[in-house]
Amino acid sequence: MAQEREIQNVLQAENLFCERDNRVLFKDLNFTAHRGQVIQIKGSNGSGKTTLLRILCGLNDAFRGELTWFSKPIQDHWEDVRSSLIYMGHRVGVNKVLTPHENLRWSVGLSTSVINEQIDHALGEMGLRGFEDSQCFTLSAGQQQRVSLSRLLLNKSLLWVLDEPFTTLDQEGVNLLERLLSQHANKGGVVFVTTHHELLLPNLTLLDLG
Amino acid sequence: MDQVTTIEAFTATLKRDLLVAYKRKNDIFNPFMFFLIVCSLFPIGISPDPARLGEIASGVLWISALLASLLAMDSLYRNDFEDGSLEQLLLSPHPLYFLVLAKNMAHWLVSGLPVVIVSPLVAYMLSLPDDAYWVMFLTLLLGTPILSLLGSIGVALTVGLGSRGLILAVITLPMSVPVLIAGTLTVQEALNGASLSGYMAVLGAMFFGSLTLAPLASATALRISVT
Amino acid sequence: MWMWFAKLGSPRWFYEISTKWLPWLASAMCILMIVGIVWALLFLPPDYQQSFTTRILVIHVAVAGTSLAFFPLMAVAGTITLVWKMKLADMVAKHAAPLGAWFSFVTLATGSLWGSVMWGTWWEWTDARLVSMLFQFFLLLSVVALRSAIEDPDKSAKACALLSIVGCINVVIIKYSVEWWNVLHQPSSPLSTSNGSANGPEFWMATGVMILAVYLFFIVSLTLATRNEILQRERRSQWVQEIVRTS
Repeated sequence: MAQEREIQNVLQAENLFCERDNRVLFKDLNFTAHRGQVIQIKGSNGSGKTTLLRILCGLNDAFRGELTWFSKPIQDHWEDVRSSLIYMGHRVGVNKVLTPHENLRWSVGLSTSVINEQIDHALGEMGLRGFEDSQCFTLSAGQQQRVSLSRLLLNKSLLWVLDEPFTTLDQEGVNLLERLLSQHANKGGVVFVTTHHELLLPNLTLLDLG
Repeated sequence: MDQVTTIEAFTATLKRDLLVAYKRKNDIFNPFMFFLIVCSLFPIGISPDPARLGEIASGVLWISALLASLLAMDSLYRNDFEDGSLEQLLLSPHPLYFLVLAKNMAHWLVSGLPVVIVSPLVAYMLSLPDDAYWVMFLTLLLGTPILSLLGSIGVALTVGLGSRGLILAVITLPMSVPVLIAGTLTVQEALNGASLSGYMAVLGAMFFGSLTLAPLASATALRISVT
Repeated sequence: MWMWFAKLGSPRWFYEISTKWLPWLASAMCILMIVGIVWALLFLPPDYQQSFTTRILVIHVAVAGTSLAFFPLMAVAGTITLVWKMKLADMVAKHAAPLGAWFSFVTLATGSLWGSVMWGTWWEWTDARLVSMLFQFFLLLSVVALRSAIEDPDKSAKACALLSIVGCINVVIIKYSVEWWNVLHQPSSPLSTSNGSANGPEFWMATGVMILAVYLFFIVSLTLATRNEILQRERRSQWVQEIVRTS
């Protein structure tokens, strides 16, 4: 089974078409995501980057075309996709009154069992040592982003879908995230990421939406 | 790293929402205060005469509880929608039905239950005859969760909208009519000294009906609103 | 079967087929409407109990009967929208809600007009049917309100579809609970002896004609509204632009 999975395409799109308010966002979009690949989605504002990412997570079903998950139609396998997915959107999913620790306990705990030490360790890795127990509204936007990114260390998910994860990060955070992306790809994971930032990764594939 | 079961995900969500409510005490106190204030306006607006008050007390309590539940509803999904936690909830591999149920339950525990608990006191202040206290309490105990479950559908449908206060009321209030009828009738019949088992059975049926169906509708509505 | 179903879902097919049928339906409606109204308002013999008010009742019963069809229709359309994502179903549902609200309003208005003569009051809480009609009216308005509150057409279509399904179930529950409430509050309502029971066969024949006419009116106006919606939404497609060019 593991062997079989190795050779298959994780996620494949054929002739993807999407329009919003009678305006075509993209059409005839084809791509294949293999294990160990980082796919950077580029495009101008309003070119449908976020829409594409949400389609891949099942948060948007207003599209036509074929999406397959390990060569099977995705619409029958959303549960499998969700159990191996981490999504980070513009809204990072961090509750302001809870602490980083409490936030992760829930958002990670929805899919993976996790113990307190692991959470604290991950927060430390993300440079949030000492902030574990302060409420998130006292943190800066970049720090909140880091809280959300800590999930990447805690869920051992195959597929990462990250919408503009670099926006509020400082240089050190950018380096850290780049390192995480490349580690994940080396371990056979798949990353979809939108950013205007130039990524320097060996397995990078560009997908231009125009 | 193990996958968690649906029950664990349910408990995690329940605990998290209770924790949020604990840290945001307004969510507990505002609906509760609203209930007390509205109930105390009726004697002033209508009459301080115990006989007249006693007649309308069950209706006053029920309608105040209904309005308090409506006011409290907005906080059920709004913050989660705004900070993106709702997306995370939808992307969980577990059936959304149970997660929605956990959120509904947490919400009722902090906004509905305090109202139920204080209701005998308010019933006394409104001169509801003594024999009906317990019935009043029981009908609210069974009825307010139904109001929360129904209200959840309305909130889920309107969660992404800018001005949703009024539209939420327009959607939710007509849906609450059957519960209001069942609740107040039961109390009325208790006052008449009739046997209550049939009335409680109707409320119970409504409770289990909404427990099974309403979270399904809420879950569908959330998927519609967030996508 | 599925081919037929897919065809039915095509707005273009609906537009073309309704172009053929509409004149027939509309003329049948006009004839029945004129016959029904003239018969009911001018020729129907006065009832021995209710005198001439029975004439209002003919229209009231017909409109009331039709207004009960809206929520089931919208719930079916809503299910189709949610499950099969058929655009046509939503175009129908979009216009059914305000039309249904109008029908409910007219039912309430004619009912209260009749009540003002029969019971000497414009509004009577003891009539369970009027009360549940009032809440059906509110529920339909809530669907209309939700439709206009959500800007994204796709999202508002789905949200209204769901609300229609929930509303349809609710209308049934409301109907039974209001009757139950009513029986317990007013054991002898002024209605229990009247309303139809004393009316003769001619009344029911006139009512039958009127019900048919009102149903046709409902179908014709819904079709017209749906056709407009089709042109509006498909305005970029080839076939609509051809229609615009030729007309």
